[in-house]
Amino acid sequence: MFKSIVILIVLSLCIGTGAWLFFIWTVKRGDFDDVEGPKYRMLDEDDLPEEQKHQLKGKTHEK
Amino acid sequence: MSLHDTCVHCKLPIPPADLVIDEIDGKELHFCCRGCQGVYRIITGAGLGNFYKRRDWTEQGMPAGVFEAEFDDKVLASHVTTHNETTSEISLVVEGIRCASCIWLLEKLLSKEPGVEAMQVNYATHRAQVRFNPQETSPAQIFAAISRLGYQPHPFTAGAAQQAAAREQRSLLIRFGTAAFLSLQLMGFSFALYGGYFHGIDPTVRQMIQYFAAAVTTPVIFYSGWPFLRGAWRSLKNRAPSMDLLIAMGVLTAYSYSLYALITGGEVYFDTAAMIITLILLGRLFEGSARHRSISGIDKLLQLAPDTANLIIAEEVRTITSASLTPGDLILVRPGERIPVDCQIRDGLAELDESTITGEPLPVLRIQGESVSAGTLNLSASIRLIVERVATESFIARMAQLVEDAQNRKAPIQSLADRIASIFVPLVTLIALGTWVFWFFNNASSAEALLNAVSVLIVACPCALGLATPTAVLVASGNASTRGILFRGGDILEMAGRVDLVAFDKTGTLTLGKPTVEQIIPAPGLSEDEILRLASRVESGSSHPIARSIRARANLAGIHTGVDESVETVPGCGLRMFDSKGEVLVGSRNFLSENGVVVPPVSAGALTEVYVSLNGVWQGVFLIHDPLRDEANQAVTRLQHAGLQTVLLTGDRPEVAKQVSTVLAITNYHASLSPADKAAWIVARQQSGQKVMMVGDGINDAPALSSADVGCAMAGGTDIALETSDLVLTKPNLDRLCEAIFIARKTLQVVKQNLFWAFAYNFVTIPLAASGKLAPVWAAVAMASSSILVVSNSLRLGRLIRRSFPVAKRPTNN
Repeated sequence: MFKSIVILIVLSLCIGTGAWLFFIWTVKRGDFDDVEGPKYRMLDEDDLPEEQKHQLKGKTHEK
Repeated sequence: MSLHDTCVHCKLPIPPADLVIDEIDGKELHFCCRGCQGVYRIITGAGLGNFYKRRDWTEQGMPAGVFEAEFDDKVLASHVTTHNETTSEISLVVEGIRCASCIWLLEKLLSKEPGVEAMQVNYATHRAQVRFNPQETSPAQIFAAISRLGYQPHPFTAGAAQQAAAREQRSLLIRFGTAAFLSLQLMGFSFALYGGYFHGIDPTVRQMIQYFAAAVTTPVIFYSGWPFLRGAWRSLKNRAPSMDLLIAMGVLTAYSYSLYALITGGEVYFDTAAMIITLILLGRLFEGSARHRSISGIDKLLQLAPDTANLIIAEEVRTITSASLTPGDLILVRPGERIPVDCQIRDGLAELDESTITGEPLPVLRIQGESVSAGTLNLSASIRLIVERVATESFIARMAQLVEDAQNRKAPIQSLADRIASIFVPLVTLIALGTWVFWFFNNASSAEALLNAVSVLIVACPCALGLATPTAVLVASGNASTRGILFRGGDILEMAGRVDLVAFDKTGTLTLGKPTVEQIIPAPGLSEDEILRLASRVESGSSHPIARSIRARANLAGIHTGVDESVETVPGCGLRMFDSKGEVLVGSRNFLSENGVVVPPVSAGALTEVYVSLNGVWQGVFLIHDPLRDEANQAVTRLQHAGLQTVLLTGDRPEVAKQVSTVLAITNYHASLSPADKAAWIVARQQSGQKVMMVGDGINDAPALSSADVGCAMAGGTDIALETSDLVLTKPNLDRLCEAIFIARKTLQVVKQNLFWAFAYNFVTIPLAASGKLAPVWAAVAMASSSILVVSNSLRLGRLIRRSFPVAKRPTNN
């Protein structure tokens, strides 16, 4: 009983930490710098998978 | 109007003389000029014809003549960052973006340009980041590609202060994200502990959960809560108790007491500490993003003065950087270029678009000997100028400095909560100390005395007090922003709720800033159509807003004319044309009189007059009017009903000011004011104890906007006005102003209620805790319920706003 509670808590902390690290990564990547754009952009990227990749690559290098 | 009257590309009316007909994909299309036709072909040729379906334009584009400027690789080189041999990056600001489809178009077309790897435009700031291969293309080619589409690129390097602000906002986001994540975990632990308290729990399990709770709370306090701890330390050093100190005190007390209880086996209150920090961080985050959204304006403004200038040395023109110009240098500014620094005209005369400086839409004639400001746009002819001031002392730069000073002066507005904290903090500390002393000397054990003192600090923990203002501000600014109203912060909301005098600028604020023909008075024996036909023919070649208004009127009357004869422009006066009937003059009263035309007196009142003559005989006059906004009358009435005084402050003639203030029933007006006069007038009112809101749009309003208690600007005004203001209306509509004041007043009311409840709670519980009658866990329950009360009262504010001002179903995008 005691053991299983500890395991479950630690497990939940691990999963949470994963989500947290993901969040930090997205902030550092600049995904929250322009929150206005994506709502238009998602409708645009229809037929150009090549450029989409470029754009995603282009985003990683921001100060 | 038939479909053919406007250009397929730019949507402007087509001057009949310039009609260009092209057949593309089997359809006959009409353009206003070869330029538009070219751009249309570029866009459809790239398979991006969708642009014309998706765009949603409400403003006019860049003025004609902007696109002749050339771009120089050498000058741009300093803005390029090189990653490796095949990748470089350049940042730029794109002028002329009007809606989301402009950005779509730019990104699509630029990424098809050879050598360009990626282009990303920020929707809010219009800043673009271009990654390119320097071996295949050059910055100048990229700039040329952008300007071919009708946008004006400026190189851009973020200043240190802006980068710091962006970093700050990002770190705040991470702090909040971390706090939210850990608080979520903590909530689970606390739930188990509360359950255990009421229904019994195995002591070892309880202690283990408490340890986990301590583990997740520690980073919340010391990492996420760091800004508060630092603020508290600063306020201690300055001996000025602030909200930060109150928060830090409450949080640290709850945290350290919980640590103590963890070791000695009592109840812990980690959740209290973590929740305060998380919620207050959320409030700061929202406040910060509202601030951030409106701050980008000043970048765009300072980019208006070009980086390079054409220096003339011994009749030879050389391109140098604007920063190296010194007073006395002779420079050349061609049509379509902006003036780099403040200058005096040496040779020639030209019409300048000074709208970035004054907010007035009409071009102004500047002649030899007159001074011109950096950042204004030369529309008509090449001029030679003598440099008067170095770049850093130009009018724009000084204006920006003035604004910055005013903002700094205004910064120490103490928010209501801060003022309260300055009394509350010492008081609570004193009571806690008194409790300890009392119990220590009245037979209690030292542990019990300490426990009672800590109880006081815990119940006095400013949870409700700390939440009272931020939650109300959060709800109000959130609801306001969906209505296109941006408050720069909680203090502005508070201030806007206290305003009792509203001062308006005229052009662009109360009026639309777009002139139209109000009335046509033909000479006896002539018809309106006849002089309209005559005038629209003469004006057909001009891009002046007045010419445009006459053409628009002609189009409405179904008159479409073409010019075969040459039209001569006399800048600042009017136009002259020779046709089969003879000499036609269109222009100001003086212009006609000087040419020997006898002009009868016309009572134009507040209107601009444009006269027409044929072969020296007066034909009639156009009265041109910049119409008031549709909602202006209603908005002013509503403000007056709300008990506010209104006043009109304008640089315009007294007759105009009088007419406008009579029509709108504005209490008072002051005309012919300079920017400094406006600011001085406002300061004088403030000294007599009034709280003043200024509503304006031009750079000439900037000092007034920043000296007012609340400066309010509407989108569509100049960037500096947006930058200076505390309150931004993203839709140019005065009804929003009334809504903003209503929201602010309601918010103030709710904050006061919240503070009352928070205090009432403390008033009851602190004596209980001091007398040792309140077990800490009950204190926590009471604390939670008072917080819930405060938060739901704030949420009530949201419902109140939504009920009073329902949002239109689909907000228009402009």
